[in-house]
Amino acid sequence: MKKYFLLLLFLFVPVISWADEPQVALEKANISPYDTASIKRGAKFFATVCMACHALVYMRYDEIAKEAGITYDKMNFTVKYFGILPPDLSLITRWRSPDWVYTYLHSFYIDATRPTGFNNLVYPNSVMPNFLAPFQGQQVLATDKTRYMFVGMPQWYDLLVLQQQGSMTPQQFDATITDVVNFLAYAAEPYRVDQIRLGYWVIGFFIVFFFFAWRLKREYWKDIKKRFHTED
Amino acid sequence: MEKMRRNKKLLAWIDERFPLSAFWKKHVSEYYAPRNFNFWYYFGSFSLLVLLNQIVTGIWLAMEYTPVADQAFSSVEHIMRDVRYGWLLRYLHSVGASAFFVVIYLHMYRGLMYGSYKKPRELLWLIGMLLYISLLAEAFTGYTLPWGQMSFWAAEVITSFASAIPWVGKTLVIWLRGDYNVSGVTLHRFFSLHVIAIPLILLGLVFLHLVALHHVGSNNPDGIEIKVKKNRQGIPVDGIAFHPYYTVKDMMGVAVFLLICAFIIFFMPGMDGYFLEPDNFIPANPMQTPDHISPVWYMTPFYAILRAVPNKFLGLLVMAGAIAIMFCLPWLDRSPVRSIRYKGAWSKIAIVIFVISFIGLGSLGIQTVSPLRTGLARLFAVLYFAFFLLMPFYTKYEKTKPVPERLTG
Amino acid sequence: MTTKDKVEVDAAKRCFLRRATTTIGGLGLAATSIPFISYWLPSKDTEAAAGPVKIDLSTLKPGEQLTVAWQGKPVWAIRRTQAMLDSLPKLIDKLRDPNSDEDQQPSYAKNIDRAIKPEFFIAIGICTHLGCIPTYRPDPGSISADWLGGFYCPCHGSKYDLSGRVYKNVPAPLNLVIPSYAYLDEHTVMVGVDKATDAG
Repeated sequence: MKKYFLLLLFLFVPVISWADEPQVALEKANISPYDTASIKRGAKFFATVCMACHALVYMRYDEIAKEAGITYDKMNFTVKYFGILPPDLSLITRWRSPDWVYTYLHSFYIDATRPTGFNNLVYPNSVMPNFLAPFQGQQVLATDKTRYMFVGMPQWYDLLVLQQQGSMTPQQFDATITDVVNFLAYAAEPYRVDQIRLGYWVIGFFIVFFFFAWRLKREYWKDIKKRFHTED
Repeated sequence: MEKMRRNKKLLAWIDERFPLSAFWKKHVSEYYAPRNFNFWYYFGSFSLLVLLNQIVTGIWLAMEYTPVADQAFSSVEHIMRDVRYGWLLRYLHSVGASAFFVVIYLHMYRGLMYGSYKKPRELLWLIGMLLYISLLAEAFTGYTLPWGQMSFWAAEVITSFASAIPWVGKTLVIWLRGDYNVSGVTLHRFFSLHVIAIPLILLGLVFLHLVALHHVGSNNPDGIEIKVKKNRQGIPVDGIAFHPYYTVKDMMGVAVFLLICAFIIFFMPGMDGYFLEPDNFIPANPMQTPDHISPVWYMTPFYAILRAVPNKFLGLLVMAGAIAIMFCLPWLDRSPVRSIRYKGAWSKIAIVIFVISFIGLGSLGIQTVSPLRTGLARLFAVLYFAFFLLMPFYTKYEKTKPVPERLTG
Repeated sequence: MTTKDKVEVDAAKRCFLRRATTTIGGLGLAATSIPFISYWLPSKDTEAAAGPVKIDLSTLKPGEQLTVAWQGKPVWAIRRTQAMLDSLPKLIDKLRDPNSDEDQQPSYAKNIDRAIKPEFFIAIGICTHLGCIPTYRPDPGSISADWLGGFYCPCHGSKYDLSGRVYKNVPAPLNLVIPSYAYLDEHTVMVGVDKATDAG
């Protein structure tokens, strides 16, 4: 009870050393670099919703980005919100992690004290306007304290309540955000699938090579064993 | 048959003008190494292999990298995404850098265990220590090149060490950086050092290191000199020709080593943030320090020692001392025997404590400070120095075991 | 257990293992060289910059030349007059390769005009001798008394006619290269593709 009250207190009082610390555990994003359809859907969402403010400058020569309409001339490099430039998202999932981005996009809630009218559990005092509200709907901090067993960090859905649903059901919203995060993970590492595939071949090669190198070594070292009568 | 005769003639032509066959005989096919090299003896040749990898992949990366402040970060992403197999070359180089330190630490530990620094190998050890310091410098300058947040702030922190030196400190820092703060000027000169100056130093020192080694011959796990017992042909009785026995054994070892490296490169090159730090995926911002600065894992033991000392200048001295004291090792060890196998219980306990302290310091160096952690770091730092400073005593007065006449396995 | 000083070696087995290991190792080295060699190929941004280039011909006056850069090379567009086109058949015996037999042009430019439409001459302005850029000398008599118009390279004196065909007895061995190109419409040409549909 007391712990929960303290947590609420921290959520409303901006403490600089806590500014970047998530208030919730990070939910796992079920993304896969092999799900190209998901990546393409995410790209389309990015192009229509996110690209108005966020650039993806390193995706300039990428095919999937081009297909979705994400091109260099359409990217915005100058818009600022409250003096802050929206960060380029080419490498966001390598900096923060896919789970961080997934949870962040789910964790906006109404907060009248903030200039945007919203706050975020993962990045407290973020000045990013809640562009997800039309899709997810509007969330508020839960007042019902018996909703979860407070063991370790709570999940974002333990602390927030959907006050008014947007154009998507929670399941649809989850799926959409999964696609977006999948695309962003692709944007951070477009070569991932090739990397993994090549990896299997290389490991396989070394297993075969090792086998022959080992037998060769054993054969030559018979000389040494014979000469010194060692047991091994 | 005809081809063989032609090759022999070609070889004879070369040998008349260049000591090729003589060199091959002296240093490879008739170079006698102790027959009992174990696991710990792979790491010398592994480090040569990793050096070769770093040089070749480094040359390739330098073809597409731009050492200018506002283009460096983009050029690295360009390599990762737009250049064919660029991602692979980059990971070969970044994983290679960490692999280099894994190999070198294990290589140094072997030297520590078997007394490979004792007479007549003191110079070999000193050259090795110079190599270690050069490698640290190479790693530091290389790490700044992607010009991410960590690159920039690591350069800022490490160059500011110089300001702790009395009187000349402040000017020295500006001189090192080439500017009043770390900037593109610093980046560009670090690029030159990383790509040309230090590699040349490394290559020169590796050459000297191998010359010194071949002059005295390798040590071995038993720490006894194989050259004292030679047969009628003048060949050490416990020696075996490097080629084919150790070439074939090293090849097998290399297969395993590269398999492990390949696994990391293709499946987890960032090593969960230890090889490629998340904060380095943001371009450098001189106006904002990341929440948490720490050097890459291979420098953290010394960083932990630095942080443990509450005074800036003293901390620097102690940290430098931690490396400098390693130079003194050949003269600190007063034991009548070389190898840990025959040393007394004190030496064995000491080396275990040393390893625990070194790893402990390394682990603490990555983490944020706290009163408990600072206390632990101080304890480990004391133990680290104690290993060296008490060595003249415990090695001299402990009871050693009798050393065998011939090599054991 | 017997002590033997003489070591018995299974030479055949050693030979086989040596060969097998060497072969596999060799394959590995060959495979390893692939990324290093591929790395040198043009990167994605280079490919993008080397992409097709549009030329707007509407502003060209008869006899006028314009130059655009494509893949780092100068590409000429010249609007030839009827008089220029009429001069072309007269030079057959002065030219090294009057019928464009050498592979210096796409199939649709393998004609006397060396162009899709005779009126517009599109060519790469690099001398086939050692790579200088020839000068455009359309006026008859400007190079020599019998000069009917064409290109003159100042570096070593090579001459080409108004279809870029090289003269005999000059250092240059081949006709000027005609790039692949296609008409997007009446006045617009896309250099670097063979069909209008290939353009992105």
